[in-house]
Amino acid sequence: MLHFRFIFRQINGSRNQAIIFIFCVALSLLILTSLGGFSSSVRRSMLQDARQLHGADITVHSHYPFSEPLLKAIHDYEQQGIVQGALVHKFYSMARNSRTEKSILSDLKVVEKGYPFYGRVTLLSGREFSEVLKEGAIIVDQVLLDRLQAVIGDTLQIGSALLTIVDVVTLEPDRPVSFFSFGPRIFIAAEDLEKLELIKKGSRIQFSYLLQVHDSALVDRLAEELSASTVKPQENVKTFRNADSRIKRFFENFLFFLNLVGMFTLVLAGIGIQTSLYAMLRESEYTIAVMKSVGATNRFIVIHFLAMVMVLGTAGTFLGLILSSLLQLYFPTLFAGILPANVTLAISWNVVFEGLVLGTIVVGLFSFLPLQRIRNLKPSFIFRKEIGKAPRGILSYSAVLLIVLFFVGLVIWQLEDVKIGLYFMLGLCALIGMTALIAQGLMFFMKKTTPRSLILRQAFRGLFRPGNATRAIIITLSAALAVIFSIYLIEQNLRATFIEAYPPNLPNAYFLDIQSDQKKEFADILGIEAEYFPVVRARLLSINNKPVNRDQEREKKGDNMAREFNLTYRDVLLKDEQMAEGDTLFGHMNNELANKEVVPVSVLDTVAEIGDINVGDLLVFKVQGLPLKARVTSIRTRTESKVRPFFYFVFQEELLKDAPQTIFSSVRIDRAQLAVIQNRLAATLPNVSVIDIASTVEILAGIMCKMSSIIQFFTSFSIVAGLLIVISSIFATRMTRIREAVYFKILGANYSFVVKVFTYENLIIAFSSALLAGLISHVGSWIVCRQVFSIAYQPLLSSTLVMIAGMLVIVVGVGLGASVSILQQKPINYLRDERQD
Amino acid sequence: MSINGLEAVQLSKSYHVDSRQIVVLDNVSMTVQGGSFVVVEGKSGSGKSTLLSLLSGLDRPDAGTINLVGTDITDLSEDELAPFRNRTIGYVFQSFHLVPSLTAFENITFPAELNRDRQAAAKAKELLRRVDLTKRMNNFPHQLSGGEKQRIAICRALINSPQIIFADEPTGNLDSVNGEIIMQLLLELRRELKTTLVLATHSREISSKADSVVRLVDGRIENSSEKVNL
Ligand SMILES: Nc1ncnc2c1ncn2[C@@H]1O[C@H](COP(=O)(O)OP(=O)(O)OP(=O)(O)O)[C@@H](O)[C@H]1O
Ligand SMILES: [Mg+2]
Repeated sequence: MLHFRFIFRQINGSRNQAIIFIFCVALSLLILTSLGGFSSSVRRSMLQDARQLHGADITVHSHYPFSEPLLKAIHDYEQQGIVQGALVHKFYSMARNSRTEKSILSDLKVVEKGYPFYGRVTLLSGREFSEVLKEGAIIVDQVLLDRLQAVIGDTLQIGSALLTIVDVVTLEPDRPVSFFSFGPRIFIAAEDLEKLELIKKGSRIQFSYLLQVHDSALVDRLAEELSASTVKPQENVKTFRNADSRIKRFFENFLFFLNLVGMFTLVLAGIGIQTSLYAMLRESEYTIAVMKSVGATNRFIVIHFLAMVMVLGTAGTFLGLILSSLLQLYFPTLFAGILPANVTLAISWNVVFEGLVLGTIVVGLFSFLPLQRIRNLKPSFIFRKEIGKAPRGILSYSAVLLIVLFFVGLVIWQLEDVKIGLYFMLGLCALIGMTALIAQGLMFFMKKTTPRSLILRQAFRGLFRPGNATRAIIITLSAALAVIFSIYLIEQNLRATFIEAYPPNLPNAYFLDIQSDQKKEFADILGIEAEYFPVVRARLLSINNKPVNRDQEREKKGDNMAREFNLTYRDVLLKDEQMAEGDTLFGHMNNELANKEVVPVSVLDTVAEIGDINVGDLLVFKVQGLPLKARVTSIRTRTESKVRPFFYFVFQEELLKDAPQTIFSSVRIDRAQLAVIQNRLAATLPNVSVIDIASTVEILAGIMCKMSSIIQFFTSFSIVAGLLIVISSIFATRMTRIREAVYFKILGANYSFVVKVFTYENLIIAFSSALLAGLISHVGSWIVCRQVFSIAYQPLLSSTLVMIAGMLVIVVGVGLGASVSILQQKPINYLRDERQD
Repeated sequence: MSINGLEAVQLSKSYHVDSRQIVVLDNVSMTVQGGSFVVVEGKSGSGKSTLLSLLSGLDRPDAGTINLVGTDITDLSEDELAPFRNRTIGYVFQSFHLVPSLTAFENITFPAELNRDRQAAAKAKELLRRVDLTKRMNNFPHQLSGGEKQRIAICRALINSPQIIFADEPTGNLDSVNGEIIMQLLLELRRELKTTLVLATHSREISSKADSVVRLVDGRIENSSEKVNL
């Protein structure tokens, strides 16, 4: 039988803590549902429909025109009516508006009828894509119109063709976001491909054959059969099931990271739940002891407090759901620019249900220990007010173990990756464990310090008043702050390396696909001295006769050995290169090299690491269909990690100079002049692609900034958890603080003394947390910058100071805010309180 | 006239509970000679604590004036009162009211340190020796017995050598033996330091030791019996 009045009384008696408990529960639910809602929205509208993202059931990709056997196999299927196919060519080219004299590097997609087999390309006019894209017509991105100051009806010169803009594309199903492109999209009808005259040997074109299979049961079998007819490794058959898309990978990674942040915040919210519940129960200790002394059973008491936790948990849940639906309103602003237009952010019932289940478990787990404590409370507590100790022993350890196990399970389930899940938990435990350890050390030191200043001494003493959650506060605040600040530090360092400190002597424009016979003309147009690098496109077949495993390579998060590489030839090191192994680029002449069966090659250390390549290894490349055996004679390293052209594989000139090649050039030029050159190149050498590195870097920086602000937004919830614990701790020690304040006043301290003591106390907490956070984030970011990104690390001292100052202001502000009612008490009211100390 | 004791003129104090007015003190006037020991006596609820809180400046009267060792404290602000209290007044309460986060020693030195007294530690040690609690100096209040707490409170009241001590039933929470010890200590120390002592109690036995007794009945002074040189 539940006494509802009793439950209500208890809640009312500890209103402040109850409110904090509710907020912490709401916070965890807010995180679970808003992140869950976001991920499921992104997955549903963009990643789930793999066919749509793929545009077909089966695609065959190649960087060379398709081989005869493959084409024959496809045509056979088409004739039998099993599949329907559409050829797509993708490449970059300059597009020039002759009316406005402006040009831009564009991302061309030349498509045959049928594309896309799944999903729909939507146009601004609302018309049907296939009806609009006819011979002589092009459909473009809005960005292109803006940049070229073009309007619908204008004619663009692309390659050797003049094509008319007829519509604007608003959504492309197989490319939901465009920020991976170097330029705006232009759709061209397949009938115009020849007229462009851009398909030349050595130019980088992606050939895709999209196939729709009428009987979906046949997809895998057909893919396998087609695969048998391909020329390996350049032709590559994928089904919508096993295709990997860069966009998909990007969002999966991003969601993955957000999930990590979410888990982290959830843990801190859990600590908040525990802290406030402890405080609430401490306030009820006297009641509980009295109840026990008049014969209430443990069962009775635990059931009632459990009921209380459930009531509060439910309230928190509802608050969390309300807050999270409010937060949804802000999401479009938050995510603007990195989500495609068709993603509607909404919380589904599924997500709500999931959030409820997880929220309940979190509340249950973190309430277990505090509730356990009231079982251990002895009735004799009425007589001797001992300072309550947290229960130790098997039960408490198993509770902690359960919490850890739950989060491990949750992380693994959310991230769908056991190894990374375990790593994350290990990292998290290390972070919290380390902060706990340092916090413990700090507190030991604080307990020992007796500063000369009376106010400071009182403040230090105050940290240890019974009921204060000083340690929990320092741990949560510093862990939360450390994560947020690390993200900031890493972002700023990346930015400093790649964007802001863009050194004035580095090239800012790249010119791709210059044909060998265009070199002179190109140099004339450019008019200034430039670096020229010959480029031969090739794939790596094997390392020491061990074939490169394409599927395995593509799984890799960074660069992989299966992609097409740009080989070059020269006899000297570049300005920013050094020898890492070997004394000369191509070693010393020996029999093998003299026989010309095997050629020497110099490898860059980064790719050597990825592919585990060492000096003396045998590499087999495939250059334009022909195998090229190469012996690794040296390993080079780069002295700066800057935006500067680099080549993984360098050969001797006489060996590659006859291979089909293009020329790559880089130059430093001011941007106004670049626009002029770009325009002249587009008119006379339309096959040459110009990449404006500065603007590309700007776009990347924008995306990076956006992502880090989103991550920081979600991480900031963990600070809220920390602040809630600060408030809880102040409320928990409210009576003690009031009494202290009163005694101070009676003994002759004035108002400002009391305010100072409370302020210094919070200052000490904030300062320790900020210092700890600073330390951890600097160490962490240093490791990430040096080890992961291999970039120089700047400690950003002024930002660190701002962070510390910000922390001081926030914590002291919140602390004083929560103490206002305490400070306003008149002494006389508390002298009547007959409770003994 | 410069007062080195205390003079209260026509003090009144009432509380409002709901809309009812409860008159606790009604036109109370009294004088305490500097260096004397005055007992305020009366039944429970007669207004003793209220009177002491007004006299010592912890609360304000609704009407009347209070002059404490030559200073009219009636209209002093809270922040003007604080340093005055620190140097001039010592308090001993029935429920001890030690600062829970400070050790016994720190509780005693606290008022002296507020007063920037360099001798604080030495004085505290001497006082601790006098009350025989040197061994307990590093205990926190919750680690002390009631009698020990009150001895510490007395040391705290005396450390700044105040001119006047207010004690509100200092033995009320103690058994008779401990009560006796406390009273003896208090009287002994105040005599040595020549401090004025105003003490509220309902114990006749304690009243008998006073230089004068003020009797409160329902918030009024019944009769002031001046005892002549006992
Ligand atoms: N804040 C208050 N609000 C209302 N009434 C009060 C308040 N403080 C005191 N009283 C009332 O004033 C009267 C006098 O209280 P006071 O504490 O001065 O008595 P006392 O003589 O010290 O009693 P005791 O010997 O029990 O300590 C009592 O009737 C009490 O109920
Ligand atoms: Mg009283």
